[in-house]
Amino acid sequence: MAGRAPIPARNSALIAMIADEDTIVGFLMAGVGNVDIRRKTNYLIVDSKTTVRQIEDAFKEFSARDDIAIILLSQYIANMIRFLVDSYNKPVPAILEIPSKDHPYDPAHDSVLSRVKYLFSAESVSQR
Amino acid sequence: MAGDEGTEIYEEREESMDAAVGKEEAEIKTEGKEDENILQFLDSLDGYLTLMDSVNSKLREGWFDLASARHSMGTLRINSTLLDLKYHPAASTLQVTDQEVGSLGSVPRFALSKWASKGCGSPKGKDFSTDTDSEIGSPLSQQLRHRGVSEKPSAKDETTLAADEEIKKERAKSLSVFGGLVSPKLRGAQLSFETALETLVEIANMRASMLSAFERITEK
Repeated sequence: MAGRAPIPARNSALIAMIADEDTIVGFLMAGVGNVDIRRKTNYLIVDSKTTVRQIEDAFKEFSARDDIAIILLSQYIANMIRFLVDSYNKPVPAILEIPSKDHPYDPAHDSVLSRVKYLFSAESVSQR
Repeated sequence: MAGDEGTEIYEEREESMDAAVGKEEAEIKTEGKEDENILQFLDSLDGYLTLMDSVNSKLREGWFDLASARHSMGTLRINSTLLDLKYHPAASTLQVTDQEVGSLGSVPRFALSKWASKGCGSPKGKDFSTDTDSEIGSPLSQQLRHRGVSEKPSAKDETTLAADEEIKKERAKSLSVFGGLVSPKLRGAQLSFETALETLVEIANMRASMLSAFERITEK
C-alpha cells in the first residue's frame, strides 16, 4: 500500500472477540482466551444487558492495543457500532465480522465489502 | 540539397515513430499492471467470500455440538460463569509480519500458532501459517497403520508424536473448566471452533490482499 508505514512484526499477538456467549465459549475452547495480571481479558461477552457504550469502549480498547492482531466481531454487534467499524481503516488489528447463531452473515453489511463495492457501482463504471 | 532535406525529413519521421512505439509499449505495460491488480483484487474477493461461507458452516457445526453437549451435560456445566478468570496467557496466538507481494507492495501476513506451550521460550505448538495453496493442517497426525514388520520410528516421528501429546494435553486443559468428564460433543465443538479459527486467519490474509489491491486500483 503506497505511503503506508511498515507494520511492526509481532509474535504471540492475540485474537480479541466481541460476540455472544456461545461463540466466545467456543473460541475459548480453541485456546484463544487470555487473561493478564490485571485480570483484563481479550474478549467481551455480549448479552441482553450489555449496553452499546460498553461495546464501543471494548472495540476502542481492543483496536488501540498493540498486542492484538485480529478482532472477531459478530456482525449483529458490528451493526450496533457500524459508524465506528466503518471509520476504522488500520491494517492491524484486522476486523473480521463473523456470523452468530441467530444472525447469519450478510455480505451487504460487511464493512470491508461495503468499502470495495464502489468498484462495481454504476458511477465508477461510467467514470472509466 | 534536396537529397539532404529528404534524408533529414526521413530521420525525423523515424525518431517520431520510435517515440510513438516507445510510448505505446509503456502504455501496454501500465495496462498490464492495472489488469494484474484487478485480477488480484477479484481473486482475493472470491477467496474472501468462499472462506466466509466455509467459516459459517464450521461455526454452525460448533454451535450445534455445543448445544448437544449442553443438553447432555446440563446448562450449569457449560456457561460463561465457569470461564477461568485467573491469570493465563493465550494458548493459540498469531505472528504478524509485513510481506512484499508482487505488485501489491507490502501486505500484513497473519500466521496462527496453535496450542503453544505456556511458560516456555519457544512455542512447541504447530505453526499453521496458511497459504491459499496449502491445506488446513489437521491437529492430530493421522498415520496409516501397516500390518507386518514395523520399523523403528525415526527421531522426526518421535518429535511429532511428542508435540501431538503436548497438544492433546493443552486441549484437555482447555476443556477442564467444564469438569473432568466431558461429553464427546464438547470435544467435537472444540475441533470445529479450532478449524473455524484457522479459516478466520486465512480470511484475515485474504482481506489484507484484497484491500491492498483495491488501494492500488483506486490510486489512479
